[in-house]
Amino acid sequence: MSAERRSKIIAVALGVCIVCSILVSTAAVVLNAKQEENKKIEKIKNILIAGNLYEKGKDVKEIYNSKVEGTIIDLESGQKLDESKYNEELNVETFDIKDLAGSPQYGKIIPSAQDIAKIKRMPKYMAVYFVKEADELRAIIIPVYGKGLWSTMYGFIALDSDLRTIEGFTFYEHGETPGLGGEVDNPNWKRIWKGKKAFGDEGEVKIEVIKGRVDPSSQEAMYQVDGLSGSTLTTRGVDNLVKFWLGENGYGPFFDRLREESSHEQI
Amino acid sequence: MRFLRNFLDKQERHFNKGGKLEKLYYLYEALDAFMYTQGKVTRSGSHIRDAIDLKRMMLMVVYALVPTVIMALYNTGYQANLALSKLGQAAGEGWRNTVITFLGLGYDPASVVDNMIHGALYFFPVYIITLAAGGFWEVVFATIRKHEIQEGFFVTSLLFPLILPPDIPWWQVVLGISFGVVIGKEVFGGVGMNILNPALTARAFLFFAYPAQISGDKVWVAVDGYSRATPLAEFADTAMTVSASWMDSFIGLIPGSMGETSTLACLIGAVFLIATGVGSWRIMLSVLVGMVGTSLLFNLIGSSTNPMFQVTPLWHLVMGGFAFGAVYMATDPVSAAMTDKGRYIYGLLIGVLVILIRVVNPAFPEGMMLAILFMNVFAPIIDRIFINSNIKRRLIRNVS
Amino acid sequence: MSKYKNILLDPIFNDNPIARQILGICSALAVTSKLETSIVMALAVIFVLTFSNLAVSLIRNHISSSTRILIEMTIIASLVIIADQIIKAYAFDISKQLSVYVGLIITNCILMGRAEAFALKNPPTLSILDGLGNGFGYTFILLFVGFFRELFGSGKLLGYTIFTLNTEGGWYNPNGLFLLSPSAFIIIGLFIWFVRTWKPEQVEEE
Repeated sequence: MSAERRSKIIAVALGVCIVCSILVSTAAVVLNAKQEENKKIEKIKNILIAGNLYEKGKDVKEIYNSKVEGTIIDLESGQKLDESKYNEELNVETFDIKDLAGSPQYGKIIPSAQDIAKIKRMPKYMAVYFVKEADELRAIIIPVYGKGLWSTMYGFIALDSDLRTIEGFTFYEHGETPGLGGEVDNPNWKRIWKGKKAFGDEGEVKIEVIKGRVDPSSQEAMYQVDGLSGSTLTTRGVDNLVKFWLGENGYGPFFDRLREESSHEQI
Repeated sequence: MRFLRNFLDKQERHFNKGGKLEKLYYLYEALDAFMYTQGKVTRSGSHIRDAIDLKRMMLMVVYALVPTVIMALYNTGYQANLALSKLGQAAGEGWRNTVITFLGLGYDPASVVDNMIHGALYFFPVYIITLAAGGFWEVVFATIRKHEIQEGFFVTSLLFPLILPPDIPWWQVVLGISFGVVIGKEVFGGVGMNILNPALTARAFLFFAYPAQISGDKVWVAVDGYSRATPLAEFADTAMTVSASWMDSFIGLIPGSMGETSTLACLIGAVFLIATGVGSWRIMLSVLVGMVGTSLLFNLIGSSTNPMFQVTPLWHLVMGGFAFGAVYMATDPVSAAMTDKGRYIYGLLIGVLVILIRVVNPAFPEGMMLAILFMNVFAPIIDRIFINSNIKRRLIRNVS
Repeated sequence: MSKYKNILLDPIFNDNPIARQILGICSALAVTSKLETSIVMALAVIFVLTFSNLAVSLIRNHISSSTRILIEMTIIASLVIIADQIIKAYAFDISKQLSVYVGLIITNCILMGRAEAFALKNPPTLSILDGLGNGFGYTFILLFVGFFRELFGSGKLLGYTIFTLNTEGGWYNPNGLFLLSPSAFIIIGLFIWFVRTWKPEQVEEE
């Protein structure tokens, strides 16, 4: 039977397609669970790194489940979103900043005058994470993002329970110049953030990333972070995104609420 | 001097065929030619067009560079002394201080001699290292390929320190010039075959490999802990105001790479190169035209967020490496276009590209190096287009 | 026996797919900034190349000349998706760094090239060897490039510090150029230069 006969051509093509599709779909179905698990662990790991909770070799899920509690908040009002309103897109498990910011229902356009982080769109809701030890609030981890020189940088900031002191800072996704702006994920640089004060006495955002090195004797030193040498624009991007997200158009209302709650508790 | 001549002549037999140091003949020959003029003329040259040969041509470029070298020495020292006096330090540090004290000189930014000597102590080490490291590769390849050491290297080795910041680490100078000579020139077959300008290739290597030491605002003044941005960076940054006057920038009293700051010195060099016919006025002119046209266009468009849109052509002329690049780099006879019409296109596109990079690209305030290298790559294609169209036109003329 | 050996070993130096045939350059630039990603990428290519050669060779007498490209593409694409799924499941960190480049193996000219030039005309055993050999040739370049890029670019090999960086208190100032893709061009170029100086018969006539 010649390979050039029409019926044969169709039969061979059909056969190849059937075999291939079976193989591909089997692989996709069998491996899907494991891939989803990987994605989840990856995200949890970044949250733990920001909160200085990550320990190499230990099971990240175990740490996360015992210490971290995620919740969705409405950024504008600062209120926690009731769990009954969670749905496919809006829940802590599958929360995805990029999807939400782009969605017409859950995202919004930022007016360009307010858009200092140069991100154009942001989600109306955010997943934030409370770190608790023995039922006491230790830290709050919030996702942030903003434009650097080449790319949008995605990260987490961890604030201490006093809502002023920075506990940790990490970027998990960026495309900045290796060796220059790319140093935003250098552990040594991230370490500088720990212990800095994000807000002044009046609750105003005071933290800034300055050009060059911080003079430790300066009064402002506790609000200042060393810039990355040789990368003015990435440094400025980090500065802008921190100011944006800690400010009133970002998590401001949420922090106000938390402060109110904690002062009530003290009384 | 006669002694040296006799000594060299006596040694020659060791290096001739059959001598025990036969392999090192080209090293001997280079030393001999460097000390005394060669007895022979270049046997083959890539551009013999008239009485002027490759060797004389390269020598002319070296002469044309003299004004920029003098300004490099003066301004490097001037910037350093100025910084010291601003920081309130009476003296510099390290071995340079030892030399300056030994000579009985000081650090007065108003004294020409103080500035020249202080600058020389930055420039000449870099120059000597360039000569040694680049010369090493030249000798290696000359020995393997059995040709004489080519004079082009003396131009490359003088250009390279002039486009570096004064306190560039010496090991980077070694790596940079090695890359420039080997990858920029020798892999293509040596002088005359290279696509890219070797000195610029060397700088581009350092620029991408170790950006912290060749960009930013800390490297341009040779004093530790003192930072002053180049006027280009100041223009590009909304948060900074331009601290230098136009006249200072024109004369070259601004921070920058050692030899590129003085537009005045470059203009003197340009007059010399054009008068002797060594540098192509077509290229220089068209680079200028391209720059002026593009920057005027950006002036017209305007932008509320990007201050670089407002920079006038007059400022573009005196900032960064524009003048230096247009006069000494773009005109490099090997890597530039060869046809007259091609030169206009080549120069024009360099002028356009340099402004595009300066104005629109957020990462690189300076664009001259990248613009020239980019057009180096295209020069053979531009030439090919013009040569082919010439051939076609002549064919048509002959047929009809 | 020497025929088998030649088919297996020739693609490493004598007829290397990247250095001699200049195929598959794109992924060699994109994934080689670290040795680890280079290794995973190379394994994926060996896997796809060997099995696509085998599959095409098995049905070579039943493929019509008019549909052969489509059938080859289907087989290669399926194998690439499987490889991609496996990497996502078992080497998630690396799959993130490889991003789209595993998927882009589909467009890697080595695969179509070997299926067309070899597997279509040769029996399965030889085709497997050819797939393995070309896979090894590709691997060799990727490891060569990845080795130098990671060592000079970050002072590390497979993530273990070899040179302590000056940002971490050591002496080594990392060479940023090696982290950028064009450095792979330079390294491959130098590799070709050395190989052709060593084996001058590879130089193309002008």
